[in-house]
Amino acid sequence: MNTIQEMFQSWGMVERAVAFILLAPLAGGLIAGIDRRVSARFQGRYGPPVLQPFYDVFKLMQKQRILVNKFQNFNILLFLLFTVFSGALFFMGVDLLLTIFSLALAGTFFVLAGFCVGSPFSHLGAEREIIQQVAYEPMVILLAVGMYQVTGSFKVAEIAQFQAPLILYLPGVFAGFLYILTIKFRKSPFDLSMSHHAHQEIVRGMTTEFSGPALAVIEIAHWYENVMLLGMVYLFFGFNPWLGLGVALLTYLFEIFIDMNYARFKWQLTFGSSWLFTAVAGVSNIIVLGLMR
Amino acid sequence: MSEPQEITPIDKSDLVGIAAGLFAEGYRFVQVSCVTLESSYELTYSFDKHYRLKNLRVIAGPEEEIPSISVIFPNAFLYENEIHDLFGLTIRNMAVDYRGTLYRTTIRTPFSIGKVKIPVPPQPKAPTQEEKPATATVSSTINEPQGGS
Amino acid sequence: MAHRNLIPFGPQHPVLPEPIHFDLVTEDEKIVDAIPSISYVHRGLESLVEKRDFIDYVHVADRICGLCSFMHSMGYCQAVEEIMGVEVPERALYLRTIWAELSRLHSHIFWLGVAADAFGFESLFMQALRLREPVLDIFEETTGGRVILGASKVGGVRRDIDADSLAGIVKRLAKLRPELEELSTVFITDYSVKHRLCGVGYISKEDAYILGCVGPMARASGLDMDMRVIGYSAYKYLDVQPMVETAGDCYARCLVRIREMLHSIDLVREAIGKIPDGPVEVKVKGFPNGEYMSRIEQPRGEVIHYAKGNGSRFLQRFRVRVPTFSNIPAMIRILKGSEIADVPNIILTLDPCISCTER
Repeated sequence: MNTIQEMFQSWGMVERAVAFILLAPLAGGLIAGIDRRVSARFQGRYGPPVLQPFYDVFKLMQKQRILVNKFQNFNILLFLLFTVFSGALFFMGVDLLLTIFSLALAGTFFVLAGFCVGSPFSHLGAEREIIQQVAYEPMVILLAVGMYQVTGSFKVAEIAQFQAPLILYLPGVFAGFLYILTIKFRKSPFDLSMSHHAHQEIVRGMTTEFSGPALAVIEIAHWYENVMLLGMVYLFFGFNPWLGLGVALLTYLFEIFIDMNYARFKWQLTFGSSWLFTAVAGVSNIIVLGLMR
Repeated sequence: MSEPQEITPIDKSDLVGIAAGLFAEGYRFVQVSCVTLESSYELTYSFDKHYRLKNLRVIAGPEEEIPSISVIFPNAFLYENEIHDLFGLTIRNMAVDYRGTLYRTTIRTPFSIGKVKIPVPPQPKAPTQEEKPATATVSSTINEPQGGS
Repeated sequence: MAHRNLIPFGPQHPVLPEPIHFDLVTEDEKIVDAIPSISYVHRGLESLVEKRDFIDYVHVADRICGLCSFMHSMGYCQAVEEIMGVEVPERALYLRTIWAELSRLHSHIFWLGVAADAFGFESLFMQALRLREPVLDIFEETTGGRVILGASKVGGVRRDIDADSLAGIVKRLAKLRPELEELSTVFITDYSVKHRLCGVGYISKEDAYILGCVGPMARASGLDMDMRVIGYSAYKYLDVQPMVETAGDCYARCLVRIREMLHSIDLVREAIGKIPDGPVEVKVKGFPNGEYMSRIEQPRGEVIHYAKGNGSRFLQRFRVRVPTFSNIPAMIRILKGSEIADVPNIILTLDPCISCTER
């Protein structure tokens, strides 16, 4: 592991970005496959093969390209582009804030894609997605703020190499981040805007009107996004790469576990609870850190 | 063992008044069923209170209009629309009028007179279906055990 | 922000795999109006009495619905038997009751699963459907069918169950009971389930009565209304208790069904304990002449089978008033003013059975 890390650190920015762009979909797809398998086991089923997400995406790629209007494609491609861009920025080790903001921009394009079609389900899903973004965004920014307070830098590379365990300084921020990760991973109880199963009052929310290659693009963008979010979890344990990797995977398992044990919340509770949690766990953690200095 | 069920034949002009009386007595509206006779329709309005059914029977010709009771019993509109769509009867003043779109059957009004084949009893001594409602002028239980006909 | 949206709900909608359609007029997430329409798959089964004689028609009645198939054939047979004055043997009545209660049990378990799916609780859905299997297995072993039982006939039942199998049913249900209790605990106590069900889709007792609610829907609003109390079939010998809740919301409807489910197990056990020996059918002579409204309690509520014969081999008219049809006015009332996120729960706690409605 250390050799991998050293190799990674020895690379230039471009090489790291290329590595991310090539490897993240593989990792993300694999995680999605394991997710489906583990979820199925939780429910007492066997579940599909681990590689099923890849099969799905390849199949979607071969489908006929049907677009409701041209903005749909435009927005979806920008969504992918900005997700990849922010992920690449993250793994290049540059500014964390920039990463977060470009990820928010990617999300905005996704919402626009939901709004640009005529389906009321899609519109409702997009409206809910905005609410979700408002719900989780403060916590993501607090994450950057907290890390800056401890390490004195917004640079991902420096945060990752910070030798003291960040988690000890930022337990509240970590807990808050876990909470909003459920929203980001689109897991129950927070899969309001689009659930994995399309068994929802708004059918499949924002992605209702997408099919074929466009849907595959959304899928791939989510893989990138998931890998990047797990990378953020890793940052808390940057002092020990093995531990960091382990915790990142455990976090994902934890989210699956939560997914299995909750009904879908309504948006009022989603919004209220995530802000409350952000305030209690995140803000108080930051204040305490500020007082300690 | 069998549930006593009384059927009271009434005139269609009395329907709304009697229904309002039943509503005041605390009856619940259960259903309307309709039977196609040879040249008329036989509507049975059922009401229930404390597990006792009370039925009102109205005979209507194909051209006649029947007053709606959906003003009194708000849930009656579905049954009335159903009768309008399946039997082709006109019902006046329905609370919600689907105008024949509740049941979009391929054959319009599939139960209307002429479209329904009324079965013929095997023996000539059995009464024809036209006579039966006419004879039931007083309220009676409808549980007539039928001998070996 | 009061921009009005028209949201089509059904006939093809993942939450509601049944062909009913609602036009939901919404303002943001609030529903201001709901217009139902049905008849997407109207099958004209009532019209089939012209082509099938009254003995054969039992099979058609059996196929009115998948979940309460047995109840329909039972109600039909009951109506015809009443018209013809047939004295059905006691043992047949008991067997009918046992199958009817098992139908209720499996329908309610299935409902719990589908409700869980509607509020996004997938693991609960899987678990509920798994628990439904033992009941279906009992059906398969006693009648040969898992969904359409075809066990009822005019004058009795088609098959007998021997004493060993009856004892086996009791044993299996006793094993199923703790598992069902465990499943219901989740519905009763889980925070997120309560968040989705409590206070949602409220209907008052008065409204429920006036709008003609039947079944669990009426009982959840505090109406003590259960047709089993009339004492058709073998229910007159059994200790039937209507399960009444007073809250009138989705949660109360859920509780009513859970309690009924466990009560069904008790009733089956009681019926099996009391079942007399004897024949299971009588020979039926003659043709029906007269009319009768047979009322029985389905999983979804009161169903009325109206049969009218004129002394010929074919019935003059057969009509089914299904509980879902009766619950639609209340469903519209509840939907108005609710939130779009609550729509699946509201519709599902009514347990609409469109295959019944589109008979």
